Amino acid sequence: MLELRDISKQWDHRPLLAGVNLRAAAGETMALLGASGSGKSTLLKIAAGLEAPERGSVWFDGQDITALPPERRGFALMFQDFALFPHLCVQDNVAFGLVEQGVRKAAAREQAREMLARFGLADHAMARVWTLSGGEQQRVALARALITRPRALLLDEPFSALDTALRGQLRDEFRDRITDAGICALLVTHDEAEARAMAQRAWALEGGRLVPRW
Amino acid sequence: MTPLRRVAASPQGDHAGGPAKPVPRRVLATALPVLPLLFLAVVLAAPVLRLLAEGLAPAQDAEPLRWLDVWQDEFLRWRVVWSFAQAAITCVLALLLGLPIAWVLARLDFPGRTLALRLLMLPFVVPTLVAALGVLALWGPRGLLGAPLAGAGIDLHDTPWLLLYGNLFFNLCVVVRAGVDALEQVSAARVAAARSLGATPWRAFWRVEWPAIAPWLASALCLVFLYCFAGFGLALVLGGQRYATAEVEIYTLVAHELELGRASVLAVWMLALTGTVALAYAAIERRLAAPGRVVPVLRQRPSGPVQWAALCGAMALLAVVCAAPLLAIVWQGGCALLVGQGAAVLAEPDTLAALWNTLRFSATALVCATGLGLLHALGVRALDAAAQARNAGPAPGALALLWRAAAFLPFVVSSVTVAFGLLLLYPQASASLVLLIAAYVLLAYPFVAKSLAAALDGLPASLAQAAATLGARPWRVFWRVTLPLVAPALRRGMAFAAATALGEFAVTLFLARPEWTTLSTLIYQHLGRPGQANLDAALVLSGLLMLLALGAFALIEGRPRDPHRHA
Repeated sequence: MLELRDISKQWDHRPLLAGVNLRAAAGETMALLGASGSGKSTLLKIAAGLEAPERGSVWFDGQDITALPPERRGFALMFQDFALFPHLCVQDNVAFGLVEQGVRKAAAREQAREMLARFGLADHAMARVWTLSGGEQQRVALARALITRPRALLLDEPFSALDTALRGQLRDEFRDRITDAGICALLVTHDEAEARAMAQRAWALEGGRLVPRW
Repeated sequence: MTPLRRVAASPQGDHAGGPAKPVPRRVLATALPVLPLLFLAVVLAAPVLRLLAEGLAPAQDAEPLRWLDVWQDEFLRWRVVWSFAQAAITCVLALLLGLPIAWVLARLDFPGRTLALRLLMLPFVVPTLVAALGVLALWGPRGLLGAPLAGAGIDLHDTPWLLLYGNLFFNLCVVVRAGVDALEQVSAARVAAARSLGATPWRAFWRVEWPAIAPWLASALCLVFLYCFAGFGLALVLGGQRYATAEVEIYTLVAHELELGRASVLAVWMLALTGTVALAYAAIERRLAAPGRVVPVLRQRPSGPVQWAALCGAMALLAVVCAAPLLAIVWQGGCALLVGQGAAVLAEPDTLAALWNTLRFSATALVCATGLGLLHALGVRALDAAAQARNAGPAPGALALLWRAAAFLPFVVSSVTVAFGLLLLYPQASASLVLLIAAYVLLAYPFVAKSLAAALDGLPASLAQAAATLGARPWRVFWRVTLPLVAPALRRGMAFAAATALGEFAVTLFLARPEWTTLSTLIYQHLGRPGQANLDAALVLSGLLMLLALGAFALIEGRPRDPHRHA
């Protein structure tokens, strides 16, 4: 279970998060709604270890992981702009995390190819990432995140760069894949329909505090 | 299937409700600038302060000096005024000629455009002394065009034109490149909006494009002014007796007349004036918005006689100003080598020794400059991140801004000032190879630092963050993600650093022992001796040095490619 306890953070000398508490259990997808600049992405980065809270702590399965650097948390974060590495081919993007876990490069690439095949991207294994369409890039990003078998998946507006039709198609696919993985997921979005399609519970960030939506 | 991710055990202690622990690696990151800072302090700041002290309070046994002596002495006043005037005239000429060329390159699509843009880099790479020889090979009394002119009774020697032409050779491309970059940052939608509101192309340029590009051009002109005002090599060779600049006078006072007091006062005045312009440059740079992702105005094939005339005129101007001196060197050097008396110089022991010195000094300087530049640029990034984390806001901290500006300091302080300051501060080490190489590194490393810092600024933070969340430790993030992505910028910075070191002239003239003669100083020695044989030797050596600089640049920079192909 991922827990955020009493998280507070200022941005540009204004309170952004004011004592936020949140729990997401394994197999559960939780949506975080809110307007632009409300602190959703900051909260996600705090959970990932990319930013430090001024107050409060992050826990996972009963362990305080606040001081753990991001690479040791075992979470995967998906970015709005996909953050695929432009100097690597699709296969090496997906294999990236495995290599960091100590898997030999050849074995990591083999596993990446298997993963890409499951995502319907087998033909694109050697392609450069910028040659893919938006939807394909998004699938590569998810494959790259899931292949490391993360303990939690953090999604920062993952569909905002896609058109409406593709968004609908991908969110169903993502929901199924996240359910299959059986991990807890935190979805940041400003689109309530998207939140309803993917998450079991939703909270809204308003004035630095979480307000339950459903 | 995949192994489970290795996750470290939880640290002890409950942080609930308490402040979060600071991340120790941030402290480590802010330590990055320490080495470059020490280097700048020892090799730049301390010598400049020593120079200031010398200027303010000359030794007791020296003739007392007053600050205004420079302005009361007609000769020195002319040197300073002319230094200012030639820089200002170059700025005006570079703007008048450079803006139309930039417009043609940014707005018209024609075969050879990419090559033209690439060739615009040449003057940045060519050593100063080679450029000076190129101007002489073209316009000098025995030059390709100068000889016929002399026959017609027009002697350009000892006139300001040679120096101004040399200045333009180096600086026209600065303005053109800034103009092209700026014009490519102008949003097509804004221009289209202006046109749809009734503006003619000229009015749209004047009311929409010009306000957008003016700050970029102003920034480039500040650089041009600084390069010309603090320039040494061109003025030494092309200025003659009357049109040499204050930097040349400082060298003369130190090296030939041993008047350190007068030289110090003059150097301090020059430093004050360059510092003022540098401050203006810094102020303009701060106002420049970081280039965002805009849809630029589409380039179109030239159509109509006006556009074709503009294209032909721009290419002809570039050929006359930027290519002709280099072609003249190649032609005159080739003639000297094949039919003149220049071939013998290549086998002379002095030449081989100079070549060896040039290569070893440059290689050593390049290695050190790369390390320092890397640390400097990463330091900028680390200080930016630390400031943003500390302030919890997007504004960069003052320290980060200062450190970013520090990479520009070696450009602001002239080579002559640095060398003179080093001589004053470390007299016992004035004939030390370490000091000479340190001065080379000082002049070369800002190229690496600035190029890398710009590349790091352009790198989306999400890439490194994605790598970190995928399990990469900071040094692995650097090795697997950051370094490959900034490698083209690193190589480009190194290429400029290598070209700078290979062509270094002023510092070597001040600090080198006779046995440390480099190709640059050897060329100058030949130029100072009478006779056609010496001129031929200088031309051949200039050709060799040019090939060396261009070869090193091409080799290090590698194949150019689009560096910003992000997903």
